This record gives sequence, C-alpha cells and structure tokens, in this order.
Amino acid sequence: MKKVSNRVKSSLSGLLVPFISIVLTLIVASIIVLLLGKNPIEVFLGFLRGSGMALKPRYGGGQGMLTDFFSYLSILTPMIFASLGVMLGMRAGLFNIGVAGQMLLPGFLASVIVGYSDLPSYLAWPLIIIIGLVVGGALGALIGFFKHRFNIHEVVTSIMLNYIISYITGFFINTYFADTVTRNSRPVKEASRLLIAGQTGGGIRFDFPVGLIVALIAVFLMRFLLERMTVGFRINAVGLNKYCARYAGINVGGNVVLAMAMSGTLAGLAGVTYYLGFANNMVPKVLVSLGYDSIAVAVLGNVAPVGCLFASILVTIFQKGSIYMSSNVGVPQDIASVITGILLMFSASGQYIEETLQRLGRASRSKRGSKTDPDQAKA
Amino acid sequence: MAEPIVELRNITKRFPGIVANDNVTLDIKKGEIFALLGENGAGKSTLMSILFGMYEPDEGQIFVRGKEVHLTSSKDAAALNIGMVHQHFKLVSNYTITENIVLGDEPLKRFGPFSWVDLKGASEKIRALSLEYGLEVNPNDKIQDLQVSTQQRVEILKMLYRDAEILIFDEPTSVLTPQEIEYLLDIMEELRRGGKTIILITHKLEEIKRVADRCGILLRGKLVGIYDVATTTTQRMANLMVGKEVDFSVDKPDHEFGEVVLDVSNVTVYNDLKVKVVDDVSLEVRKGEILAIAGVSGNGQVDIADAIAGLQNISEGSITLNGEEISNLSIKERIAKGISYIPEDRQKEGLVMDLNLRDNLAIKTFDREPFSKKGVLQPNAFEDQAVDLIDRYDIRSGQGSQTITRSMSGGNQQKAIIAREVELDSDLLIFVQPTRGLDVGAIANIHQQILDQRALGKAILLVSLELDEVMALADTISVVFRGQILKTDDARNLSKEEVGQYMMGVTK
Repeated sequence: MKKVSNRVKSSLSGLLVPFISIVLTLIVASIIVLLLGKNPIEVFLGFLRGSGMALKPRYGGGQGMLTDFFSYLSILTPMIFASLGVMLGMRAGLFNIGVAGQMLLPGFLASVIVGYSDLPSYLAWPLIIIIGLVVGGALGALIGFFKHRFNIHEVVTSIMLNYIISYITGFFINTYFADTVTRNSRPVKEASRLLIAGQTGGGIRFDFPVGLIVALIAVFLMRFLLERMTVGFRINAVGLNKYCARYAGINVGGNVVLAMAMSGTLAGLAGVTYYLGFANNMVPKVLVSLGYDSIAVAVLGNVAPVGCLFASILVTIFQKGSIYMSSNVGVPQDIASVITGILLMFSASGQYIEETLQRLGRASRSKRGSKTDPDQAKA
Repeated sequence: MAEPIVELRNITKRFPGIVANDNVTLDIKKGEIFALLGENGAGKSTLMSILFGMYEPDEGQIFVRGKEVHLTSSKDAAALNIGMVHQHFKLVSNYTITENIVLGDEPLKRFGPFSWVDLKGASEKIRALSLEYGLEVNPNDKIQDLQVSTQQRVEILKMLYRDAEILIFDEPTSVLTPQEIEYLLDIMEELRRGGKTIILITHKLEEIKRVADRCGILLRGKLVGIYDVATTTTQRMANLMVGKEVDFSVDKPDHEFGEVVLDVSNVTVYNDLKVKVVDDVSLEVRKGEILAIAGVSGNGQVDIADAIAGLQNISEGSITLNGEEISNLSIKERIAKGISYIPEDRQKEGLVMDLNLRDNLAIKTFDREPFSKKGVLQPNAFEDQAVDLIDRYDIRSGQGSQTITRSMSGGNQQKAIIAREVELDSDLLIFVQPTRGLDVGAIANIHQQILDQRALGKAILLVSLELDEVMALADTISVVFRGQILKTDDARNLSKEEVGQYMMGVTK
C-alpha cells in the first residue's frame, strides 16, 4: 500500500519538477523581455510561429505552417542525435564536448563523397547514413582509445580534434569545394539531401526529413540498450563506479572506448542530418553551435534517452523560432540562448525544487493539524 | 550532577519505508561522555544528525540548555556550540589544516577597502588549541599528506576552533588502528576534563566501557534504555543492543582438509608507485580450510588478496587455482574459474552505490544465463534472485530489491556483498576485513556465513586486522609484515600474544 503511493508520488514529481522548471523559465524570460520593453506573449508566439506551431499572419506562395513545422523537424533531427551522443557519453562517465567536430567531419566527407555525386536518393541516403555512422564512430573510438591507452582526458582530445577537423575541412572547402559567390561550400545535390522534398499537404509545400525516423528509432534503441541490455548495464556500471566495475570483472577500458565510439556514431548521424538535410552546405572553419547546445539538452533531458527527445523538442523551438521572432518582434535572436541557459539553470536546480515542494507539503500538512497520518505511522 | 545540556523529547523521524527514530526521549548532562550504542541501522546517526540540524524530526522537541530549539541546518547547531565529527570526514584534501579549519568562518584582516584571511593568526590559535588538548598537528600540513587519524584530529580541532561545547563523534574509531583508538579515547577524556560534553556514537563495547559515563541503547529506532556504564557489564550491553542473547564464541568443528585449492608461490607485487608491497609470498589454502592473514594495516595483505583476484598484476611467482595457473587470466576469467572476493572497501569497490540492490546482487553474473539471454537483460531473473537473497541472507532495506544501495546501512550493504559472493559458489572465497565497522549482531552473522562455507568444503582466505577475529576463525594463520610472511602455522599452535608479536615484526 505504502509502496504504491510512493511510486505514484515519485512519478508525479518526476513530471511536476520539469514542469515547474519550464514555468519558472518562462517567467524569468518574460521579465527579461519586459525589461527590453517588448511584449513577452508576442515573443513566445514568435518562437512558436517560427517553428511552425502557431499560424503566422502571412505566408509566401505555397508555404504554410506545415512548411515551417517540417523545417523545424529537420533541425530537430540532428539535435536529437547530438544530445543522445552526449547523453551516452555521460552515462559512461565521459564528457563528449567534441560533438561539433564529430558532426563536421562525417558531414564533410558525406558531402564530398556522396553530396556532389549524381547518385540517386535510394543509393545516396544509405551511403550517407553509413558514412555518418562509421566516421563519427571512428572519431569517438579514437578519443576513447586515447583515454584508455594513454590516460588523456576526453575533453582535451575532443577539443583538439574539433580544431583539427575544423581547420582541415576548412582548407579543403576553401581550396576545392567553395561556392564562388558565398565562399561557403557548394550546396549538396537535391537527391542526396536526407529529405523527401516537395511534399504537399492542403496545397502547402513541405520537405519531410528522413533522418527524423532514424532519430526516433535511435531514441528507443538507446533506451533499450541502456535499460535492458548487458552492454548498457556495463556502461552504467563503469560510469557510476569504475572501481566496482573493474572488481566485478567488467573491462573498464574497453567499455570506455565502446561508449565513446557509440557517442561518436550518434554525433556522426547528427552531422550528416545537419549538413545534408538542414544546412546543405558548410561554412569553412565554423563548428555549429548545435554541437555545444546538445550538451545542455542532454543535461536538461536528465541524461536519459526519452528525456533527450523532449528536451530537444523544447530547446529547438527557441533555437529555430528565434529568427522569425527576432525579425518580427525585434528582440535580438540571442534571447534564444539566454532562455536555453535559464532553462538549464532551473532544471539543474531540480533537486532544490523537489525539496522545496516536499517542505511546502509538510508545512501544509502540519498546518492542517493532522499530527499523525495513520498510514505513515505504521510503515 | 550537572543539569541536562541537551534534551530530546519524543523524537520521531521517518524515511521512505523505515522509521529511523521512534519516539526517542533522552537527556545528556553537561560534562559527561554519553555513548549512543546500537546496531548498524539502529538510528544512532540519524538521531545525532537531527541534533546537528541535518535532518528535521517529523515529531518531537529538542531542548538545548533548557530552551526549545528548531534546527534547520548545521549552522543553527554551530550557533548553539554543537559540533560533529562525521564518520566520513568533510575536509578539502589540497588545503592546509588551517585553511580547512577556518573554511566558512574565515577571520579577516582589513586594511582600508582591502581584506584578507588572517591565516597566521588562525594558525596560532589552532596551535594553542592543539597543545591544550594534546591534539598534535602541524597547522601548515596539507590534508592529503596526513594519515586518517590526523585528519580526524583536524575535525576535532575544527569543532574546538568554533567553540563547540557539545561534541558529537560519529563512529570515530572505525577508521583507526588500535593504538590510534587508545589515543583518541585519551583525547576524549582530556576534552571532558576541559568541560566539554561528548556524545559518542559507536557499536564497540570496549570503548564505551573505557570512557563513557552513561550509555543510551537504540534498537531498531527505539530507545531501549539509558544505562550507567560502570555498573553494566559488556555482555549485558551487547544483549540489549541486539535484543537477543549473543554468543561471542564460534562453533568450529575440527575436520580434515581436502586437496589444495589455492597455491600462491613466491609472489612479488609492486604497486602503482613501483613500491614492492608483496615480497616473495607463498601460501596454500586447502578445501575446508580457513587461512587467515594477520597483520597490522598496510603490510601488503590487501595486495595479496588483490593479486589473487586479478586486481593487481604480479611481477614474479605463480598463482594456481585447483592446479591451474591463473596469474595471466583476466578478472572476469578468474571469477568464472571460481574466486569470490569480499573487498576491503565495500562502498568503493564492492558496490555501485547509485544502483539498486537488485542490480548490485547481479553485478558479477548479469551477462550469464538466466540474467541475460543473447545480450538482453531479464529483469525477472534479477528480481527473483534479489527476493531470494534478501530473504535468505536477511538483507534489510527500505524498498526491497529496488532500494538504492547508498541508502542502506553498512551492515546490510556487507550482507548484500556476502550474499552475492557466496552465491557464486566458488571454490575459493577471499574475505578482506569482512566485519569492519559492523555491529555485534552483523559480525556474528558474517562469522557464521564464513564457517558455513568452511563446512561446505570451500577454501577460505581471510584477511583481517582484528586479532580476535583471526583467532576465532582461522585454521591456519599467516602473519604478514612489510609484505613478507613471517610465520605460518596451525592456529592451535599460536597464542594471541605470539601472533601479536609477529605482527610487530618480532621474530624469535
């Protein structure tokens, strides 16, 4: 009896605490917007409109809310992959801060090898996904190997790799693949974009991101792997207490390499879905901020696969909607990063919120004068 | 005698699934050493954490110096001159003693708009305090360079520096060697002479007998009673503490040993710092035999155990299990060949504290059938095993198999490890300090487990710092000193005093 009520309570607070964090974030963000002299409701509506979740007053020809929404989905896809990558590393006690670099190299190679070729979609897509998997995985494995073999911290290796990848790809883009006008890399061919382009619904054009399906599969695959598979059991044990893991006969070094490789694999998928599906070209020597935002998203998602999915959905609204919001309401685009930061701060205070709730609950109970709850006293 | 300085009235504290303190009422007099005795998980630490402001009681009142107080944090307690030395020290390891002591309450010197911490003045005050109470420390040493006993002295000085009048010691001797314990008890008496009130949380009866004036006994959260230490026998206190008659002697029938299970010959081990910690050690354990390695802490006994289990590499020698060389096998392979290992540090090595009991019980077997099939875990098998082991080994936990092991008491954590290791059904069981920090009831239970395994014909290697434990259980005793085995003999041929002498490196 007692047990059941406890479980119900904990699952309730499991939803209540994030909800309170979000409400607090919106309140603080509103205050900031008010200080800037703008209407917070307009701002939030702007984010939703920019993400295709609310109707804009006007649309261009053949465009509609659906167009924006699917565009939102195509940037959501790499965010899900990237946050899953960070999450998996954290589960093994590793901080993969190099997601941006692990996105760029697979994205670059996939663009160069497949994106500029004339392969039809049914050949290009699987090839791109494979490049993402293999190249990202190899980068992750390399970082894990350095940690295992030479005891070099993964943060050092991955930041160094970020620079190396950024400059080397930058050199090749500038030298061989640059667009003469924009100086960015030439856009990849339509057939190799991970989009089912030119769909129409009610006369409105939209592009369906193929990667989203893979991303959703990845979320549940990761969940299964971490909760129900021996591989996940090992990774969790290594992440929580590597001394005990070693004592119990788990190969700690091997699992560090494995977890980092899987983290890189997910980052690689984030890379190919970003560069061949959303951006479709590369700015030389620039690492996408999404690679770093994904760290916040993974933390916000409570370092759990499904949590990452929901956190990605939420944060991407702010990131994606900020351009439209900024140009229509006049609040600088950077407010999106500010809101993400506040969100992260409040979600990091989850424990505090929970304890405050409990204290308030206790206070109200004792105020009612019920000194002994018979159900509790017996337990 | 003096008026009560602390009164606890009808204190009740509940945690999910457990009543840690159940209507406890007691008073502590000014200038006495009051011992709080009870088994692991009896609620001693919780009660004192309430007095120290770390938990708020669900019911009851606290009076300090006759006035009712509401403590919501340790700061409130400090304001009432209450100090606590925790079981696990709260020190910053790369700070000096002085820096640690002033931390959070730094004395400032001012010069115009500038201010800085007056470490020099603080050091002087600390030096003076340490002389007054015989707590020898050098205020400029860094914590990381200090021995455990010295770190504890720093904790005591920290309380004294903050003018604490009521000093709470939470299991202060569990981390100390016998000589250090003596020294600490002297310090406590010194503090009492200095007019301090001391509350000593412990489950070691000898210590209570040695220093305490009165003793409150807790049993499963309830106060059994308060007893005058001078007029109560140790045996009676032990009985009251566990709630039933305890038998200190063990029943160990003589029997023939079988063939050799573990054969360690001429093994040498260097640690990470390239220091030779095990020096040409040889030993043999036969079926049904308990071989105890006796020795003062830090003489290489744990390294021998680690080397056998595969946690440390050997540089010379050989280790065979049932005649098969195992020194090149991985830890996992050695577990599979039949080695169970109860490690010294149960919280760091023995358990993943943030995983639940169910997962911890399967942490060595999760990748075998029936716990997983083709790489997929089978939660039902985990659950069935947990329910079975919790019942058979009497592991007490708030939420059964789902309890996070961190929230369990030390004794029950150890029971869980022993349950897991015994269930591996290995030919060799290595017990390192199996009863460290445990109460009388748990110790008897674990000793019985070890003897049961002996009766089943298992080979048992016991590493213990407790001489009484070695004498009670061992068939054969090996005494280790500076990484070498000085003496190995049938336990019946050795007296406690002789073993003690070998432990000090004395050879005849």
